[in-house]
Amino acid sequence: MKTAATPIGLAGLESNSTAELKRAQTFEWRIGGIALVVALAYYLGAKIGFALTLQPHPISVLWPPNSILLAALLLTPVRFWWLILLAAFPAHLAAQVQSNVPPAMILCWFISNSCEALIGAGCVWYLVDHPVRFDRLRNVGVFLVFAALLGPFLSCFLDAGFVALNRWGQDSYWQVWRVRFSSNVLASITLVPFIVTWSGDGLAWLKRIRRARFLEGTFLVLGLVSVQTFAFYGSGPSPDSALLYLPLPFLIWAAVRFGSRGVSAAICVVTFLAIWSAGHGYGPFTARSAEEDALSIQMFLIVMSVPLLLLAGVIEERRRDATMLRERDARINLASESAELAFWSINFETKKTWMSEKGRAIFNIPPDEPLSRELFLSRVHPEDRSAVDEAIDRARDSSKTFEIEYRLLRPDGETRWVIARGRYGHNEQGGMRDLIGVAIDVTAQARANLELRLQREEMARLSRVSAMGELTASLAHELNQPLTAIASNAAAGRRMLMQGPPNSAEFEELLADVSTDAHRAGEIIHGIHRFVRKSEGTRRVVNLNEIVREVLRLLHSDFLGRETAVETDLLAGLPSIHADPVHLQQVLMNLLINSMEAMQATPPQKRRIVICTRMEAESLVLISVRDHGGGLPKENLEKIFDGFYSTKPNGMGMGLTIVRSIVEAHGGTLGAENSEGGARFSIRLPVSRPPESREVA
Amino acid sequence: MSAATELIGVVDDDQSVRRGLRRLLKSAGYATETFASAEDYLARELFQGPICLVLDVRMPGLNGLGLQKELEARGGCEQIIFITGHGDVPTATRAMKGGAVDFLLKPFDSDELVDAVKKALLHCKEQLRKRGERRRARSLIDKLTPREFEVLRFVIMGLLNKQIASELKTAEKTIKVHRGRVMQKLGLSSVPDLVRLTQIAGISPADARYGTKGQYPA
Repeated sequence: MKTAATPIGLAGLESNSTAELKRAQTFEWRIGGIALVVALAYYLGAKIGFALTLQPHPISVLWPPNSILLAALLLTPVRFWWLILLAAFPAHLAAQVQSNVPPAMILCWFISNSCEALIGAGCVWYLVDHPVRFDRLRNVGVFLVFAALLGPFLSCFLDAGFVALNRWGQDSYWQVWRVRFSSNVLASITLVPFIVTWSGDGLAWLKRIRRARFLEGTFLVLGLVSVQTFAFYGSGPSPDSALLYLPLPFLIWAAVRFGSRGVSAAICVVTFLAIWSAGHGYGPFTARSAEEDALSIQMFLIVMSVPLLLLAGVIEERRRDATMLRERDARINLASESAELAFWSINFETKKTWMSEKGRAIFNIPPDEPLSRELFLSRVHPEDRSAVDEAIDRARDSSKTFEIEYRLLRPDGETRWVIARGRYGHNEQGGMRDLIGVAIDVTAQARANLELRLQREEMARLSRVSAMGELTASLAHELNQPLTAIASNAAAGRRMLMQGPPNSAEFEELLADVSTDAHRAGEIIHGIHRFVRKSEGTRRVVNLNEIVREVLRLLHSDFLGRETAVETDLLAGLPSIHADPVHLQQVLMNLLINSMEAMQATPPQKRRIVICTRMEAESLVLISVRDHGGGLPKENLEKIFDGFYSTKPNGMGMGLTIVRSIVEAHGGTLGAENSEGGARFSIRLPVSRPPESREVA
Repeated sequence: MSAATELIGVVDDDQSVRRGLRRLLKSAGYATETFASAEDYLARELFQGPICLVLDVRMPGLNGLGLQKELEARGGCEQIIFITGHGDVPTATRAMKGGAVDFLLKPFDSDELVDAVKKALLHCKEQLRKRGERRRARSLIDKLTPREFEVLRFVIMGLLNKQIASELKTAEKTIKVHRGRVMQKLGLSSVPDLVRLTQIAGISPADARYGTKGQYPA
């Protein structure tokens, strides 16, 4: 095994190339080392090639120098290839000079050898990730097709051409081509994988492996050598050709258990033993002429090596994939545990389902129960079930990722909030292959958000209600002063009259006071309009539908408390209006509170308010609030908007006055009528200009 | 017309209300003084006769309830009728607990106010009469010596002379002398009269177990 020197040398070479990347100071020394190793290996390879000839046929059965050159190129970055070739040249010269080859022929051969190595290495470098490894089916395939077949195939034309040009030897062009081709292919297939796989981290790997593996490897080598020795030496000069297959189990053993490293080494062993024994007249390849025997050996070894290398590649690839898969599973599990994530997948083809442990905990699904859409939906809160179902359907039809937030109602009665994302996977025929998804438990955040929202809404509601209350309270106080004075003066006047004819001057003064106070009360009423108009600066483009939704949210708890159902019939695409949203909210709130109070005597199941928005004519939007509280008194239909008129026992009679003031300040009108056993209030407001601003339905 | 013998005060920050109320009360026969604020009323010199205040709850500066507290601390006999434009239950409760005669919501019925004023004045007169009686009774009792006062308290307990003598560790005859002097000083002739007088003055009977030192109970 003289070639044993090469891998060690090239191992140093590769570590050199990485060291170069680190821009080491000793760069020139390493370059020199690489050159020396390549030169030495090339020379030794040539010597071995001369040794492996079947006499009297002068052509080597296996010609290693080309393969050594190829392997060196595969292991070296492209920008150092010139150096490899430069170093190999003197070795080539030294080896060939000894065999009396004319100088021109030596040079030509070097050119054709270099071409072979360059073609093969170039293609592999271009097509395969670096560093080159034989642990993938694709890599092995690329190597076999381009480096082991295409390179020799093309370069042998050149080679044979040079031979013909120099009139070297007596063989015909095609004979030379064929002999060179098979020799070079065999060398590439047997030597290059061995050098490449062992020079990288082969020795480190040897040191790392466990004792049991080491023993196994030793047994394998011993078994292989002894079986081979028996097959080629033990039986007579022309033995049964079936014996050739004796090493095969050991080679497969090497491929399965030791991957590309093991199989490439074993192939080398078999190759050398086969050629060596044939060269010394033993074994099955000694029956015919030297030329034919050489071809037989080459064919035998090539045919045997190709599937073994491919097998090793497949096995390593699968092993690595399995490891990666395991690592990914472990990562996913770790992530899902630390982030409260539920990963799950349903494969429709294999009918296999999987869910991470955390997921089963979140969804409360026993560890062994297979997943199904029905089971999954059964955990979803009944109110959210149809939405989730639809989202999944939509995802299937549109083959997009779905994302949905929903609640889970677990068998133990607990409600949990989750956000789920999922996606359908498709097979090659475009059918459904699987459904994968992830769900995250956001209960804590959702609860906090909900609480915050409720608090905020309650605060907003209180401030709205109290703003209204404040307004009416201060109005009441303001108005009560002149009214008290008027009432007092009137009563005093009556008493005076009862006590006989009054002092006319005194009485006139009294009446003047009454008149002044009455005007003052009127002024205060007008003040409401002014108060409302004060807010004209805060008007903006608003949509009535938005305001309805906002007010419904604000009054939500009141509706619950008064057991009143609210229906909305909002026109999509309702044009916007120009208004103060807070004032409109107050208007609507006032009408709704009126409606609720009007229905106090209505049985709860009939307490229903219908809010409706419509377009009326081109430029008017209508919003109506209808209750089922028995309606308005017919004779007083007009009076209800007057100040201080109230049908409620405790009413101040200001609510509708304010409502009307606000509506009129916005250029609108307020109407009231009886409708189907209840009262209906309708507000008509002008559409804002420009009319393009429409709600997106 | 009982002018100058009684005072009706209207305290309200609104001039119209003040004018209207004064006219109303005048037509009902009451002389009325008006005040624009609680501070204005407190600045007035003390009126000795019965006083009825018609008081607005909500005023700038010291409000109605504040004035009520102030007057109680001053020990006056003003009877208060609250009037308010926006009455709430807690305010009304506080006002009534503070001894208000009535709590009226503006605008109120004029007869209601006149009745309330009448009631307030009666209350006030009654209170003033009681105060006068007590003052008179106490001035009589104050003429007694401490020993005579001690005997008095045992007498109104219903003890016999003999029992009093044993309580005070003295002779029955001595007690008899004291007792005679008490009746003479107070100008009374019977024990029931004596009991009524001590009640008006607010004197409780002696309790043998706790001694007889105190003059008037709290």
